[in-house]
Amino acid sequence: MSAGFEHGAARRHLRLLGAQLRLSTLAALEYRVGFWTEGVVGLAWSLGGVVPLVVAFEHRSDVAGWGPWELVLLTGFFLIISGVYAAVVQPAVSRSMTQIRTGTLDYLLLRPVDPLASCLTAQFEPWSLIETLTGIVVVIVATAKLGLSPSVGQLGALAVVLVCGLLSLVALGVLMLSASFKAMELQNLTSLMETLLGFAHWPVSVFRGPLKLVFTFVVPFAVMTSYPAQSLIGGLGWAELLGAVGTTLALTVGARVIWGRALRGYTSASS
Amino acid sequence: MADEPAISLQGLEKNFRVSQREPGLWPAIRALFRREWVEVAAVAELSFEIQRGERVGFLGPNGAGKTTTLKLLAGLLYPSGGRARVLGFDPADRRPEFLRRIALVMGQKRQLSWDLPSLDTFELNRVVFDVPRELYERRLAEMTELLDLGEVVRKPVRTLSLGERMKCELVAALLHAPEVLFLDEPTIGMDVSMQLAIREFIREYHRRHGATLVLTSHYMEDVAALCERILVIDEGRLCFDGSIGELVRRIRPLRRVAIRVTQRLDEGQERALEQLGQLALVGPPRLALDVDPERVPEVVARLLAVPGARDLEVQDAPLEEVMRELFARRASVREGATDTGDGA
Repeated sequence: MSAGFEHGAARRHLRLLGAQLRLSTLAALEYRVGFWTEGVVGLAWSLGGVVPLVVAFEHRSDVAGWGPWELVLLTGFFLIISGVYAAVVQPAVSRSMTQIRTGTLDYLLLRPVDPLASCLTAQFEPWSLIETLTGIVVVIVATAKLGLSPSVGQLGALAVVLVCGLLSLVALGVLMLSASFKAMELQNLTSLMETLLGFAHWPVSVFRGPLKLVFTFVVPFAVMTSYPAQSLIGGLGWAELLGAVGTTLALTVGARVIWGRALRGYTSASS
Repeated sequence: MADEPAISLQGLEKNFRVSQREPGLWPAIRALFRREWVEVAAVAELSFEIQRGERVGFLGPNGAGKTTTLKLLAGLLYPSGGRARVLGFDPADRRPEFLRRIALVMGQKRQLSWDLPSLDTFELNRVVFDVPRELYERRLAEMTELLDLGEVVRKPVRTLSLGERMKCELVAALLHAPEVLFLDEPTIGMDVSMQLAIREFIREYHRRHGATLVLTSHYMEDVAALCERILVIDEGRLCFDGSIGELVRRIRPLRRVAIRVTQRLDEGQERALEQLGQLALVGPPRLALDVDPERVPEVVARLLAVPGARDLEVQDAPLEEVMRELFARRASVREGATDTGDGA
C-alpha cells in the first residue's frame, strides 16, 4: 500500500469524522427543548462527578496514599474520560448496535471508508463534552493547588497515557459492538460499562488482588485516570508506562481482529 | 477489461444459521440453555453474468433469495461458498474503489437522517464519496429537477411522504454516479403515479449514465418497464434467465387474439374457430382465441372477417399470471417430489 494511498485514506476518514460530527450536532440542534435539556443534564452530570470528592474531603485526609488535591486531579482525568465516553463512545456504540439489529448498518457498510470508523462516528452527543471541559478545568486547578510544575518528560508521559486511556476506552467500545453481532440485544452492555467506569473515579491502588489486575490490564481504568494523574504528580514509573502502552496495544489490536471477524458474520436484517 | 462482465457469479452460496423452537413458555425457557439450529440455504449455487449497461430484473416469490443475492453483490454479506465479481472486484473485500462505483437502494430501509433535511445527508455523502463540490451541485440540481423535488430536500425527512422520501433516498444513493445500481423494491408501498415517477427517473439515470441496473420488485410493471432481461430465482436457485417475452412464451406459449363483437357467433362458426385454437371468450362483448404464435396471422384474418368485428388485440399473457403459473408449477413439482419421497 503506497504512502499516498494511506495519506488519502487518512484524509478521507478525517473528513468523514468532521461530516459525521456536523450531522450529529445538527440532529442535536433540531429539537430545541431536547437540546437545552441535554445541556442542563450535561452540566448536572459534571457537577455530580465532583460530589464524591466533597465527601472524601470531609471524612478523611487521604485515600490509599492519595491526598485530597491529588484525588481532585484524578477526578479531573475521570471527568475527561467519562465525558468522552458519554459524548462519543456510548452514543456511537448504542446507535451502531441498533443498526446491527435492524439491518440499517447496511448503509454504513456501503460507504467507501473503514466501516469501524463509520460506526464510531455514527452518533455524537455534543453536550456531554461539558463533562470533559469540566475535567480539564479541574485538572488545571488541581495542578495549581498542588504547586506542580511538570517537566517535559512528565508531560510526554501524560500525553502517552492519555492517548492510551482513550484508545483503550474506544477498544472496549469496539468489543461491545462486536459482541452485538452475535447477540442482538446487548444495549445494556453500554450501561454496564458506564457503571464500571465509576471505578475509575478512584486510584487503582485502592483495589487489591484480581480486581487490581482487571482494572490495570483487562478494563484498564488505571491507564485512563490513575496513570495520567500519577504522571503529573511524578509517581509514574517506566514499568507502568510500558504496561499502559502494552495493554493498550493488545486491547486495540484484539478489538480490531475481533471486529473484523464479527463483521464477516453480519446477517443484515431481512428487508 | 472492457469486455469483462459487470457482474459475474459462479456457484455463489449463502447459508444462514437460524435458531428454531416450538411455541410456548417451556420451549422458550429450554431454548435459553439449549437451542436448536438449522442451516438455511438462502442462495444455492447461483451462476450468471450481467454485461455492462444491462438492465436486469430479479423475480421470485418471498424468501426466494433475491435480496440476499443483491446484498452479496453489494458486499454487505459474506458468501458461504462460490465466487462473485462485480466490476472486477470481489464484493466481500469491500474495497473503497469498489464501493465508490456501486450503490444499493432498499425500499424498506433508509439512509437519510430522520430528523434532518435530506440535504444534510447528501452533504455527508458528498464528503464520504469524495464528490467535488461543483460536480455535486450539478448532479443534485439535475436529479432534483428530474424528480421534481423542489423544496422537499429542505424539509426534515420525518415530515416527508413515503414517495418523497424514496425520491430523496435515490438522490442520496446516486450522487456519486455509481456504475452499478442495485435496487431492492424501490417502489414498495407507493401509489401508481409515484411508482411511475420513480420508474421514469431510473430509466433516465440509466440512459444518461449507461449504468448496469439490477432490480427486484414485487410490481411486475416495474420489471416489465425497466428490464430487458429477467432472472427468476426460487429457493435460492436460478430457474429462468432470458427476456420477459421468452418467459411468457415458455410458460404460456399461446397468444391471445381478441376482438369486440356485438353478437355471439353461431355454432358452426365457433366450431370452425376451434380448429384454429382454444376459444377463451365467446362474447359479446369479446371473442378471444388462444392460439399458437405461428397461426396468429391466419386467426387475425379470420376474426376480422367476423361481421361487426372491431378493436382487434394480440397479446401475451400478463407477467403476473405467468409468474403465478410458473411458481404454482414449481410448487406442485416440489410437492410431488415430497409425496414420492414420503411414499418410498
